[in-house]
Amino acid sequence: MHKKFIASPALRLGAFALLGFLLILISGFVDELRVYQGAEVAVYVVAIASITLLTGYSGQLSLGHGAIMAIGAYAATLSFNGWHIPWLLALAVGAVAGAIAGYILGFAAARLSGPYLAGTTLALAVGVPSLANQFHVLGGEQGLTFDIGDVPQWASNSWLAKVGGGDFTTYKWFYWITVPIALATIWIVRNILSGPLGRRFKAMRSHPTAASLIGIHVSRTKVVAFTYSSSLAGLAGAMLAMILGLSAPLVFTLTLSFTLVTGAVLSGVSNLYGGIIGAMVLVAIPELSASVATHLGGSEKVTANLPGVVTSLLLILTVLILPNGAKVGRSK
Amino acid sequence: MQVHRSTSRRISFALAAVTALALVGTSIPANAFSPRSEVGVSGSTIKLGITVPLTGAAAPGYNKVPYAMKAYFDYVNANGGVNGRKIQLVIKDDAYSPSLAKSATNDLILKDKVFALVGTLGTANNEATTKFVNDHKVPRLFINTGFSGFANTKKYPTTFPLFPSYAMEAKIMGKYIADNFPGKKVALIYQDDDFGADALKGFAAAGTTLVAKIPYASASQSDPTVVGKWITTIVGAQADVAIMFGVSSATAAALGGAYKAGLAGKIQWILGSVGSDPTTIKALAPTAVPLLNGAIAASFLPSPADTSDEYVAQFREINAKYNNNAVFDNNVLVGMNTGMLAVQALRAAGKNLTRASLMAAISAKGASWSSAAFSPILYSGTSHVGYAGYWFGRLSASGDSTPVDGAGKYVLYTTDSGSGAVVKSAIKRPAMPEKGLPNN
Repeated sequence: MHKKFIASPALRLGAFALLGFLLILISGFVDELRVYQGAEVAVYVVAIASITLLTGYSGQLSLGHGAIMAIGAYAATLSFNGWHIPWLLALAVGAVAGAIAGYILGFAAARLSGPYLAGTTLALAVGVPSLANQFHVLGGEQGLTFDIGDVPQWASNSWLAKVGGGDFTTYKWFYWITVPIALATIWIVRNILSGPLGRRFKAMRSHPTAASLIGIHVSRTKVVAFTYSSSLAGLAGAMLAMILGLSAPLVFTLTLSFTLVTGAVLSGVSNLYGGIIGAMVLVAIPELSASVATHLGGSEKVTANLPGVVTSLLLILTVLILPNGAKVGRSK
Repeated sequence: MQVHRSTSRRISFALAAVTALALVGTSIPANAFSPRSEVGVSGSTIKLGITVPLTGAAAPGYNKVPYAMKAYFDYVNANGGVNGRKIQLVIKDDAYSPSLAKSATNDLILKDKVFALVGTLGTANNEATTKFVNDHKVPRLFINTGFSGFANTKKYPTTFPLFPSYAMEAKIMGKYIADNFPGKKVALIYQDDDFGADALKGFAAAGTTLVAKIPYASASQSDPTVVGKWITTIVGAQADVAIMFGVSSATAAALGGAYKAGLAGKIQWILGSVGSDPTTIKALAPTAVPLLNGAIAASFLPSPADTSDEYVAQFREINAKYNNNAVFDNNVLVGMNTGMLAVQALRAAGKNLTRASLMAAISAKGASWSSAAFSPILYSGTSHVGYAGYWFGRLSASGDSTPVDGAGKYVLYTTDSGSGAVVKSAIKRPAMPEKGLPNN
């Protein structure tokens, strides 16, 4: 029915711009917690897009994207603190660092598949964050602060900032930064995947032998897939460090890597738009489980551990009940 | 297949709708329709918040602090509350992780809408939340860390540290070692972040020569190979005295490891105040008990076993009735003592309680309030420094600590976080208010 829905590229760009404008406008009318959660959703959207691109389209599995996010976060933080570059550039540094890490990882990945690839990337998720404890420049367990400073005057004085009337807080500023980045990411990835590269990815995913018979260099395409996906993960890591104000090993735990996979599976792993729902659910889980725990009269320890249980249950239930994920719009 | 698809789509939309509705529903503040008052304060309640490790490597021992504080508040509430208002304490677990502390603090301030934070634990954790706390001008009272930097009122305008700083503690310890163990080789194990850096600063100020400096990453104490390395380094350096500057689980690991290596009775252990709670250590590492016996520990509060102390006696009574009679140790004492100071601060801020009036009251009157510590409190219009002194106790096999010098009497050493001298000071502690209920 909605096969042709926002099919024209120009119309799609317009739709994205309008959506972005509306989302920014909404930030004036909701409280600060929701604004912060909105920024978290935006970060997860980018992170889940990186999994969707890799797993959903090119058929590679990664359980180590939390580690790539850590690399992006530390690269952004170190470049911002050390070189005093603008924060936007620091976020780009995070994406580039992620891409480089992904490029290197891609060469290993090109020789591996299935459980071997999962194992290798899993090892990365375990090992990389603990590097922070080995090198003093990475700030140890305590991590490095990533403080982009106060909200710039032009933003807080703009008419858009006055909509709704509330204070222009740091968290609202984070929302203003992350939401357009997330939308731009989806738009760019959508365009890449609907082009020749996307078709090569899908050919490789469906039948690697057939793909190589029609002239697709399978290992090289795997490297490309890992590079693109990891640049998004690096960007998401840098954005996460920015909204937390911190790059620390405990931000990029194994749980984060699994959470991302859950988010991607939940949204239908080959569905780019579904990632938005996946991201919303991931952000909502801790809050909803906390209120459930409170109403049931559970202790603080139950509240602390419930989100992990809910996330795992959701992963299992999604695979059982909705093997194609929670689909929104069109998927391929 | 088509049927299955449309079903899955319907379920997914339902999922999205429920999520969105639930989020919107919970975002309407509870007091949306009541007249504007200070955040976290209503006609009948005051809401306070705390972040502590309830799970994870650092949790043992410290997980008792918030419940002891809550028990004290419950006791005060049962006796009329503060200016007619009851205190509610919202407790959040941060697993001793700065990033989790950040999200827990977000929740406390934005969702639970607490009036103030009290007793939040951990140097790195409090640092991670500072910008957000400052932006919202939320008072952060009597934090459970001794990092000297928190007394910087420009950087942490709403933060009131309570514990003597680690720099003070290390300097006092350095002086004690120079006086009592002259010429002995001293090794130091310390947590490798600002907590440990502050201690290094203090030992440098005291002029202590360390034959081995052993840093460890927080949480790595649960790895036996890491602990094994500490012990071989101490043995290799032929240390006579070993200082432990870490959390209780790290102290337990070090003493347990030293026992396994046959070091019982061969090295004098000196334990920092953060990680020297005997009940926690004994519970974590029963093999550490032989080494605990004879170890020297620095403290600023009286020994929890000293029932002749009026504060300890009163808090024990409250603990029996309101805290399920938990094992009364340093953690319970810290929790109740912090609670009592918080109650005095809230009383002093008056009936028209605001965040600004609370902070002003602490600056103006905090130095005169009752507290269990032997050290004076140094709050003033220009200083956010709380306690400034320690006494040294020797632990027995049962874990009780008795003053090392002064023939069984507490001897207090005070100093500052800079280059000031360490001096023996007279103990001038305000009396415990009647029944432990502040009347300031």
